[in-house]
Order: sequence, then C-alpha cells, then structure tokens
Amino acid sequence: MTGPAGLTQQGDITGNLDVECGVVIVGSGAGGATMAAELAGAGIDVVMVEEGGYHPTGSFTADSTRALRTLYRDGGGGIAAGRPPVLFAEGRCVGGSTVVNGGMAWRAPPQVLDRWATRGVTGISERELEPYFARAEARLSVGLQDPETIGRDSRLLQAGAGAKGWAIVPNRRNQLHCAGSNNCNSGCPTGAKRSMLVTSVPRALSRGARLFADCRVERVTRSDGAVTGVRGRFVRPGGRPGPRLTVRARAVIVAGGAVQTPALLARSGLGSASGQLGRNLYLHPNAMVIAYFDEDVTGWHGVHQAFQIREFAAEGILLTANNLPPPMLAGVMPAHGRELGELMAGYNRIVTAGCVVTGSTAGRVRTVPGLGPLVFYQISDHDAACVLRGVTLTAEVLFAAGARRVLLPFDGAPAVHSMDELRGLLARPVAKRSLGLFTVHLMGTARMSDDPRRGVTSSVGEFHGVPGLFVTDASLFPGPIGINPMETIIALALRNAERLIERRGCHGV
Amino acid sequence: MPAPPAAAPPRLRAPVRRSVARFADVACPPQVRTERRTVQVLAEFELLLGALRPAARRAVGAAFVAVDQGARLYPPARGRRFARLGDQAAEAYLRALLSRRDGIGDLARRLKGLVVMCYYALPAVQEEIGYRPAPYIAAVSRRRLASYGPEIRAAEENR
Repeated sequence: MTGPAGLTQQGDITGNLDVECGVVIVGSGAGGATMAAELAGAGIDVVMVEEGGYHPTGSFTADSTRALRTLYRDGGGGIAAGRPPVLFAEGRCVGGSTVVNGGMAWRAPPQVLDRWATRGVTGISERELEPYFARAEARLSVGLQDPETIGRDSRLLQAGAGAKGWAIVPNRRNQLHCAGSNNCNSGCPTGAKRSMLVTSVPRALSRGARLFADCRVERVTRSDGAVTGVRGRFVRPGGRPGPRLTVRARAVIVAGGAVQTPALLARSGLGSASGQLGRNLYLHPNAMVIAYFDEDVTGWHGVHQAFQIREFAAEGILLTANNLPPPMLAGVMPAHGRELGELMAGYNRIVTAGCVVTGSTAGRVRTVPGLGPLVFYQISDHDAACVLRGVTLTAEVLFAAGARRVLLPFDGAPAVHSMDELRGLLARPVAKRSLGLFTVHLMGTARMSDDPRRGVTSSVGEFHGVPGLFVTDASLFPGPIGINPMETIIALALRNAERLIERRGCHGV
Repeated sequence: MPAPPAAAPPRLRAPVRRSVARFADVACPPQVRTERRTVQVLAEFELLLGALRPAARRAVGAAFVAVDQGARLYPPARGRRFARLGDQAAEAYLRALLSRRDGIGDLARRLKGLVVMCYYALPAVQEEIGYRPAPYIAAVSRRRLASYGPEIRAAEENR
C-alpha cells in the first residue's frame, strides 16, 4: 500500500537499513506523533518507528475482525493476569490507539492533577497545563457532536438518566463533523475522528519527519551511559522477521504505551534506579451490561458514546452506552449454541452500556525473554465493589429507559427483568473472580516524578540517569486519571516537546 | 481502497483443527451446521490466530487440544475425545466446562468467545441478524459531506 512521502513500509525494504537523525521516536500514537510533529516543526531531524502497519482512512471498513487483526496488538486480546483476568486492547498501527479509540477528548480533572503534584511532579497544575490542553483541542477539533449523529442507544441512556435525575454530559470528542458511522473501534472510515493518523502524523511528515512502519524496535542502544539510538527489525506479513533497522540518534523518545514502553526499556537493560519501571500499572476496569428493549434500537446507527453519566464521578464511576459489533458482542454473550443464536437474533434491540471505574490498585508489567511483556493486575475488593455498584447503576438507568431484560457481566448470572430481581440477585455475594472485566486505559508504568527515588522520569519525561532518553505516553501518569487519557497524553507531549526544543542544544539535536 | 495484501494465515495443525471444528459445531447456533458454515468459521479462526504473537498462537492451539483430550476424563464421554463425541455428549461436555468456576472454566469461556466471534464475523450471519453497516456508513458519509463539506475541506487544508 502506497503512503505519503516520508513513509517507509516493510514492503519497500529489501536489505538492512542504517539511518541517522536527531531524535528517534518509538511509537506513533498520541504521545509519539504529537512529539514528532512538534520537533519536526522546530526543524529537528525526526524519525518515527512504528511496529504496526500504515492503514489509511480509505481502507477502514465495518469488518471488525479484520480491524482486530490489522490495527490491534494480538488481535485486541491482551490479558492482564489476575482473578479475574482483565482483557485489554492496544492499538498497533500508524496512529496507535488513537486510530481505534472512541475519540473521547477530556482534560485531566484538576483534582487528579493536584494529586499528581503531590507525587513530585512539577508544572502540572490546571493553570500550567491549560495552554497545552487548548492547543491539543484546537489541533484535534475537539467539540460536541452534531445532534443528527446521535443514535437511539445514546438517546435511551440520556432518557434513563433524565428519568433518574442523574447528571449526564455530552461527550467532548476529537472529531470534525463526525458522521456517526459508529466505526470508531475499527478505524474511522471518513477521517472525521481526528486521530494521529490524520493529524499529527501527516503534520510531522509534511515538516520533514520520516516514518518507518512495520518495524519492531528491539532495543534502545547506548554508549557510555547515553543513548545512541534504537535497533529494530521490520516485520514481514505473518510476523516473519525482515531486515534490520538501525537508527543512530542523539535523543530517543519512547512512546509505546504503558505495556510496551516499560518492556522495551527493560529489555534494553534500562532499569530505573527507583525500581519503579514496569510497576504502578493503573487501569480503568470496565464492565458491560447488555439490555434488551422492545423497540428497534439499531445501536450501530449513530456515534459511539455520545454521552457520559457523571452522577457518580466522585465515586470514580462513569457510565456510558457503547455499541459493540456482532462478533465482539457474541464473544461476551453468556450463552452458546441455540441460546446464543436466540440472544443474537435480537441484536438490533440491544443497548450495550457499561461502567468505567477508576482503579485504585496497581499492577505490573514484567518482561520475559521469548514471551514479551506479561501484565499482572489484581483488582482490589474496593474496586470490585465499585464495579458491582457501577453495573447495578448501569442496569438501573437502562431499566429506567425501558429495558425489558438485562444480562450482567458475572459468570453464571441469570438474566434479570427488573431492579427487584437484580437486587435479589445481588443480595448474595458476587464472587470477585466471576466479574467480566476489560479495559482500554492503561497507565503509570514509567511514572514521572522529579524525585529519582520515586519516579522513572522527570516531570518532563526525561528518564532519570540516562541522558537523551525520554518517555511520552500514558506510562508517565503518576496515578489513574479517571477519564479518557488521550488528551492529557497529547497535552503532556506538547509541553515536553517545548522543553526539549528549548534545551535542544544540550541534547545536540 | 482495497485491503492490503495479507500473508496466508497459519494453517491449523490437524488436532487443533478438529477440536475447533467440533467446538464451532457445538458452541455456535445450529445454523453453523445447517448452513454448512463450519469451514468458514475455521478460515476466520485461522486469520484471527495469525494476528497473535507466536507464543499466544501456540498457547491457543494447545488449549484447544487440551479441551479435545480433556473429554476423555469426562465420564459420559467414555474415554473419547471431544471431536469424536456425539452431539448430546459434546453439548453436555461443553456445558460442563463452561459452567465451571475455576481456571478451566475461564479458559473454556475464552475459547468459546473466540469461536463464536468468528461465526458472527461471517457476512451472511451478520445479514441474518440485521447488521448491514456498509450502506449506512455510505449514507452518513454522504450526509456529512453534503452538510459540512466546505468547512471540512477548509480544515483539511489548514492542517
């Protein structure tokens, strides 16, 4: 597939390649692409290396399993080991997870920033980050959805919240007149979602950056303690190893996300003096409720997640409606055979809604040679109780909107037809391990703190003790953010890019 | 734009293939057999497996073989593998696995999820449940351009 000038894909390469640049950036998602666009705009010679492939807007369709294979790492089937395990999904393509996320663009709440500031992070108050959030929002066309694109599933959630008197807000989304195609998680087929694929990546390329796609970085290289670049390998179709890529650079920025970033640093022998690299993995556990209505909802008409119920935000619980395409819905349906067929026959009468909980416990990413990164996360009793409460509230709002039957995310739970039935069911303890959990928000594994005993990087993402090495993704977060993280990743990248540009002489770029 | 050329998906080893096929016959709705869709489910499954890293691919394959051989320990199977069980015994074995509240049950539910996901990825199945996104996406894309075309083009040019 041909691409824009500056892009090199595995099919373009026949032999090993050596390149030189000022700054090499590993990853092209929210952090990496933003940093690339800023640095290239300042005249710095930038190379981006992305493990995933280049898939332009015109290639995106509603074939959700093809999207899983081409746009996600491991087919979207990441598992954080624990009881219960938490399924997670990470994007792996040019543009990273911004290509497959829901397009929610929210600033980190001030109380979260205040909490982070108590952990040795400076320059992170609401006032100090305001200009970066504002730039991020302008760059990504952040705004409210055009009303004609809001689907019936979201309207039912809104009606349920209205009936309960609960606070509900329209989602702020990075979109330019989103068409409401409900295809966010398989790649936006119109380009209306302002992912990195259609914003910062082309911006970086048009300012002279180079991008190597289909190339997995294996190591960050060093000499005399300072970074010298990265070494990687192109990935041929089917995962076969291709030619090698060696990038010599004066600065290295790692932006692979909260799982891949610590893994790359660890396999490069870059343990942090604080011992915190790979630790402090925070998640936002999600649990989903499937509700059947009498009416035809056709949940795949209209935008993905038009609203968030914020009534319980102080408890760390958000509620939202989020349609799933048939393969994904079938995959989590608590039935098989004929019964599954009967449940799925009502697909167009279903609203899928869920709760997102701000996890309070920390997990860990460990890197095992030959197996890659392994993720461990044990949800706490407190968080499991929050999930149960979130599920109950989700069911409550759906019943208030007129749902006739609700399926719950607990193994073996029967369908419930009213809140009384649900309360009866929950009168008995629900085993924590029976919860069906997933997440797309992972953070914290290379947390920032100016105190090198507490953090992996400084407040501007520079790795403690390794000159010229930076991190710019959700790994930097010193704790859970409690809201969709993309805009904060971008704001921090804008701020950290500014610092790097100011100090470019020190780094020789 | 056409889809990029994809590598041929990894072929399933025969024992894995037999187990997945039997799994599909039992876990998917009855139309998987009446409409002869098992082979299509297997093809979709191979594609999905191809997206996994090699270690995960091997682990999934091993899990299906374990389910197949594990049936020998299920008394009503009388020592036969899952793939060799009659319909009633296969259904009872799968139901027993899925209702377990331990690691084996977790694994069985994940494998079931993978297989039925492949079934509901088939276009004919999606059509049957009324999921027809392509014309809808085309229509709302046209509406977007008709309503906001100049603004969108201006924003793209100022990128």
